[in-house]
Amino acid sequence: MKKVVTGNHAVSYGVKLARAQVIAAYPITPQTQVVELLSEFCASGKLNAKFIKVESEHSAMAACIAASASGARAFTATSAHGLALMHEMLHWAVGARTPVVMANINRAMGPGWSVWTDQNDSLAQRDVGWIQIYCESNQEVLDTTIQAFKIAERVLLPVMLILDAFVLSHTSEPVDIPDQEQVDEFLPPYNLKTKLDVNNPRAYGGLTNPDHYFELRYKIQKAHTEALAVIKEIDEEYKKHFGRQYGLVEPYRCDDAKVILVTSGTITSTARLVIDEMRDEGRKVGLLKYRVFRPTPREILRDILYRAQKVCVIDRNISFGHGGIFAQEIKSVLYGLPASPPVYSFIIGLGGRDVTPKDIREIIEYTYKEETPAEPVIYRGVRL
Amino acid sequence: MKWLEKYKVDLPNLNKESDYPEWAISMTSTLLNRTGSWRTFRPVYENKTPPCSYRCPVHEKIPIYCDYLKRGMIKEAYFTIIENNPFPAITGRVCYHPCELECNRKDYDETLSIHNIERYIGDWGLKQVSVKELRKQSAEKSKGSQQKLKIAIIGSGPAGMTAAFYLACEGHTVTVYERQAKLGGLLRYGIPAYRLPKKILDNEINRLKLLGVNFQTGVSLGKDITLSMLKEKFDYVIIAYGAHKNRALGVPGDDAIGVLSGLEFLAQVNSGRKPKLGKRVLIIGGGNTAIDAARVALRLKRKPVILYRRSRNEMPANPQEVSDCEKEGIKIEFLVAPVKVVTNKKGKVVGLEVVKMKLGKPDASGRRAPVPIPNSNYIINCDTIITAIGEQVDLSIIPDELEKTSWGIAAGEDGQTNLDRVYAIGDCVSGPKTVTEAIAMGRKAAMNIMNKNDVQVFSPYIVKISDLNLSYFSHQPQTKAKELSLSARKGSFKEIHLGFSENESIKEAERCFSCGVCNKCDNCYVFCPDLAVIRDNYEYEIDYDFCKGCGVCAYECPRKAITMIEDSQIIEDNSKE
Amino acid sequence: MNIKMESRNFTIPEKEYMFPGHVACPGCGGALAMRLVLKALGEKTIVVIPACCWTIIDGPFPMHSLHVPVYHTAFETAAVAASGIKAALEIQGKKDITVLAWAGDGGTLDIGIQSLSGVAERNDDIIYACYDNEAYMNTGIQRSSATPKGAWTTTTPVGNPKGEPKKNISEIMISHRIPYVATATLAYPDDLINKFRKAQQIKGTKFIHIFAPCPTGWKMAPELMITICRLAVLTNIFPLYECENGVKYTINIVPEKPIPVREYLKLQGRFSHLQEKDIEQIQKTVDFEFNLLLKKAQLIV
Ligand SMILES: Cc1cc2nc3c(=O)[nH]c(=O)nc-3n(C[C@H](O)[C@H](O)[C@H](O)COP(=O)(O)OP(=O)(O)OC[C@H]3O[C@@H](n4cnc5c(N)ncnc54)[C@H](O)[C@@H]3O)c2cc1C
Ligand SMILES: Cc1ncc(C[n+]2csc(CCOP(=O)(O)OP(=O)(O)O)c2C)c(N)n1
Ligand code: SF4
Ligand code: SF4
Ligand code: SF4
Ligand SMILES: [Mg+2]
Repeated sequence: MKKVVTGNHAVSYGVKLARAQVIAAYPITPQTQVVELLSEFCASGKLNAKFIKVESEHSAMAACIAASASGARAFTATSAHGLALMHEMLHWAVGARTPVVMANINRAMGPGWSVWTDQNDSLAQRDVGWIQIYCESNQEVLDTTIQAFKIAERVLLPVMLILDAFVLSHTSEPVDIPDQEQVDEFLPPYNLKTKLDVNNPRAYGGLTNPDHYFELRYKIQKAHTEALAVIKEIDEEYKKHFGRQYGLVEPYRCDDAKVILVTSGTITSTARLVIDEMRDEGRKVGLLKYRVFRPTPREILRDILYRAQKVCVIDRNISFGHGGIFAQEIKSVLYGLPASPPVYSFIIGLGGRDVTPKDIREIIEYTYKEETPAEPVIYRGVRL
Repeated sequence: MKWLEKYKVDLPNLNKESDYPEWAISMTSTLLNRTGSWRTFRPVYENKTPPCSYRCPVHEKIPIYCDYLKRGMIKEAYFTIIENNPFPAITGRVCYHPCELECNRKDYDETLSIHNIERYIGDWGLKQVSVKELRKQSAEKSKGSQQKLKIAIIGSGPAGMTAAFYLACEGHTVTVYERQAKLGGLLRYGIPAYRLPKKILDNEINRLKLLGVNFQTGVSLGKDITLSMLKEKFDYVIIAYGAHKNRALGVPGDDAIGVLSGLEFLAQVNSGRKPKLGKRVLIIGGGNTAIDAARVALRLKRKPVILYRRSRNEMPANPQEVSDCEKEGIKIEFLVAPVKVVTNKKGKVVGLEVVKMKLGKPDASGRRAPVPIPNSNYIINCDTIITAIGEQVDLSIIPDELEKTSWGIAAGEDGQTNLDRVYAIGDCVSGPKTVTEAIAMGRKAAMNIMNKNDVQVFSPYIVKISDLNLSYFSHQPQTKAKELSLSARKGSFKEIHLGFSENESIKEAERCFSCGVCNKCDNCYVFCPDLAVIRDNYEYEIDYDFCKGCGVCAYECPRKAITMIEDSQIIEDNSKE
Repeated sequence: MNIKMESRNFTIPEKEYMFPGHVACPGCGGALAMRLVLKALGEKTIVVIPACCWTIIDGPFPMHSLHVPVYHTAFETAAVAASGIKAALEIQGKKDITVLAWAGDGGTLDIGIQSLSGVAERNDDIIYACYDNEAYMNTGIQRSSATPKGAWTTTTPVGNPKGEPKKNISEIMISHRIPYVATATLAYPDDLINKFRKAQQIKGTKFIHIFAPCPTGWKMAPELMITICRLAVLTNIFPLYECENGVKYTINIVPEKPIPVREYLKLQGRFSHLQEKDIEQIQKTVDFEFNLLLKKAQLIV
């Protein structure tokens, strides 16, 4: 069924179709509509879930993890400060191997207060061990939401799906909303092997001394490694059921590209237009949409980017004191390859400033033109 | 069962990746941690001796029978007592209950009325427990068959009765030789009926008869029989003839008409005869005989006055008896001593010249010696003088080869004399003492003859009130037993103290702290943070695999039935073994 | 000489849900508290433990000292993690399981008070037990808002002992108008067990504040643990009471003649620096607070 919905509501529909059982969330702009619609679903009985209207995001995540460890499919949504407040619990979710699914609406961090989009909130959580998937469209948001539960429950890692504030969250697009039966076929009920159970009295997450901690951490990393294949497999399966698939990354007209632009989130859609334009002009440019950020799809990134002569990366984020985070990741992926392409790093659109086709074009042109980047990090559009 | 006997625990193998759970999910229990190794002190269950039991001449296990009683297990209570003392109905009445002087409750509110509880249980047992049960009980206690012995006992006082009881219970042949026509010694001829009704004594004696004890009355040692005769006929001879020799006043005229021996006077009254008494009766002495003689005289409608040469503090008589006596209206004159009996021409008493005394330095007995005050003599008019200044053991009736002390027959703790197979017990060994001490000696001799261990106190440690955790007790006044009213006592030999009813005795037993003796209150079990107190059925044990030695159990034990011992000591001890 | 029957002072249930070998210090009140509480609640209980001494006590992986599931969670999340578990159980149709949040005073009065307040305001169906040892013991005896005025801790050293009175968490919880708030302590195990059993029968948020001495942190002889509990009650320092629906107060023990606080204070090294005037001040405060409680319970007007 096609419906015109916002990105936020796409999340809510996805969660409903995934039959989440426990939802705990706290409102924050621009995430509020996600929980508002879910509240309605719960209130009307369209979704049979317990919605815990917690007093903070920290509690939201704590509740979700606990619920998940107890055998319930758990979901939350947040943004920026909410995500930052959860930080401790984000670690916990991973350490507890709970397949919690969370939507994070990418929003800039204060101060000064900003509700507009950038990626610093989610990227600041890069190392906590969550699977991170950056979405480009409302359809992808819905589909990723459904996929996320399946991925998470297969590998026992929490999954964060990420969408840009307003540009997606509050923008309506036609979305194909699958039937419940179809989704049920794709996504079996959550079935955790060892969960809190009075008939199997164990302690979960207790004190772990150096003689065992390392092994358990190793297993988390191993799960991440395995997750790549699982995500791919589930994506393909999703296609079989629903006819759509997104890949770990999405190369666009990269085949013979001399310059490949790497983007994430909604900037990708804009970039796609620019690439088409430039291709029409006969320029050998391609686009790589970085979708699954964690675990890092190292092999496929290398496979695609290795063939280009230059790579430019757009980051709507900044790791202060270093630079763009995606660029950093790409560099590290390419590191060690003989004659790997140079990586041009551009930071743009922080705090929700518009990223126009012109901006993107100029970035590509610059990369094309300049033998080496003038700076390790190039700030695009900063008026200083 | 200790934890590691109940559960087997192994540390899981965690070598391969697949050995590990997904996250830190426990796989086994902390039973793997022998936290007992942290300990430096360990608690040990160790019943200790309550001061009451310690002070009791027969070491009755007072807290234990109190405990049985309050649970309605009176038969168990009775058998607990008679392990130490076969005649609780008697001692419950006449024992001066030194136990109560030491009872820890006296420093908390009021002493436990132990004798009344004992008496209640004793009366119940006398009525309810058959001879068959007595035999069965002791048969259960004595392991294996013993050769049956023939024992002669001289004297049927409490000492002899006790020895007879324990021996007869076990099926030995016991013959008691008694000089008097009736049995019971001073229980019959000394202690008046208002304190010990004859019916009680008769019943006890009757039970001895049913137990098979053979009594020969009217047979006197030294007259009708001799020690060597008995030694020939019997395997063992127990001498228990008491201390009955009257001490004369030792003043001029002390053999005048109208001067009576206290013991004789009481014996006459107690055997139903009416001794000749004048109107005004003086009793000389400060002991129990004096007090009883005065009270008997009062009941014979005389106006007795007691003269005692020291002060109240030095009176050997039991204070309770003294106060009872004064309550009944008898006057005691202190610090006066007889100088001379004043007689008329017929040689009959008409008065007594006395001298006033004061207290000087302590004498050999530790009491302050009375010294006459010069020129303080005066005369008290009277018709009868009853002397009660102490009885002595008649040592003339026993052979020379039997060793003696300056006051009686020499015998050891267990009653053995210097002569083979000859034991001596009771007042004839100790000089005039008490019924319960006589019983203790009787039991010890019987046990020794039967080659059995005598009953023991729980431990050398005597529990003080400061050892108790008083938080678990609440104040409760002593239960008072009923007494015959003063008016009803007039001219009557009816029993004065009426004892407890069932409810009263249970109520009083509930007051017992059970000093030093575990009564399964559960505190140690309840309060152990380490689950190291194992309670199986009604038994407690410490699981040293896990006891960290915090000491909470010992501290919260209301009655110090747990001792903390330094652990290294124990380890050393083990290494010695 | 054996007595065939016992004369138990208490009627605590037989069954144990805890194993020995746990690693609490000798004489730990918190350890005993858990043992007794689980006896009350039984095997259909899930325990949530945030960072606190009990994190350690339960034993290191792969060990575990309880015979019920334990979910360890972050310091400030005991209450809400319990809510999460309860919600998960309910949605799975498991309605007969008690979820017990078990936190220290720090995890309750300080860092965890936000999520606790949230749970209470929503009246989520859990029992929240705070075992109060009046400081952060896990981290080495730092002051918490439950540390009484005048006490030594490593962050309120002698010379500068804690200057502020203990936060009254029970009253805070009562103000949430939750169905049941109670105080309990280990010297009164039957009372403690009854309160937990009562709480188990009530739907909604139940809060039970357990006074649980820490011999290590209080610098006291471990064997005094129970005695200190008893003194806390009999001095009125820690009154035993219940409050239903935020209004109906019942004081369980009103000492006929309260014991002077000195008797309580003098047994603990953490108070050893107190001067006579400090003790008098503490006495005054205790009297005042208890009087207030009596008024709330309408035992005086
Ligand atoms: C008036 C009075 C009141 C007392 N009141 C108490 C009291 O309330 N509580 C208490 O504990 N103690 C009391 N006593 C002390 C107590 O009675 C004695 O200590 C106790 O009876 C000693 O017991 P026994 O068996 O050694 O001797 P006895 O009771 O004296 O028994 C000795 C027996 O041996 C018999 N006998 C003596 N010579 C011979 C012989 N040659 N041949 C055969 N038989 C012989 C005697 O007739 C007597 O029956 C009292 C004593 C007196 C005198
Ligand atoms: C967010 C956070 N801050 C600090 C800590 C460190 N920490 C662990 S336990 C604890 C104190 C716990 O005190 P309390 O709740 O009173 O329990 P207790 O240890 O006294 O039993 C602290 C400060 C932590 N685990 N998490
Ligand atoms: S309280 Fe009981 S056990 Fe303790 S001394 Fe008194 S009678 Fe004996
Ligand atoms: S605490 Fe109670 S059960 Fe334990 S030893 Fe003492 S009396 Fe016995
Ligand atoms: S530090 Fe205190 S609360 Fe913690 S385990 Fe030790 S005694 Fe118990
Ligand atoms: Mg604490």
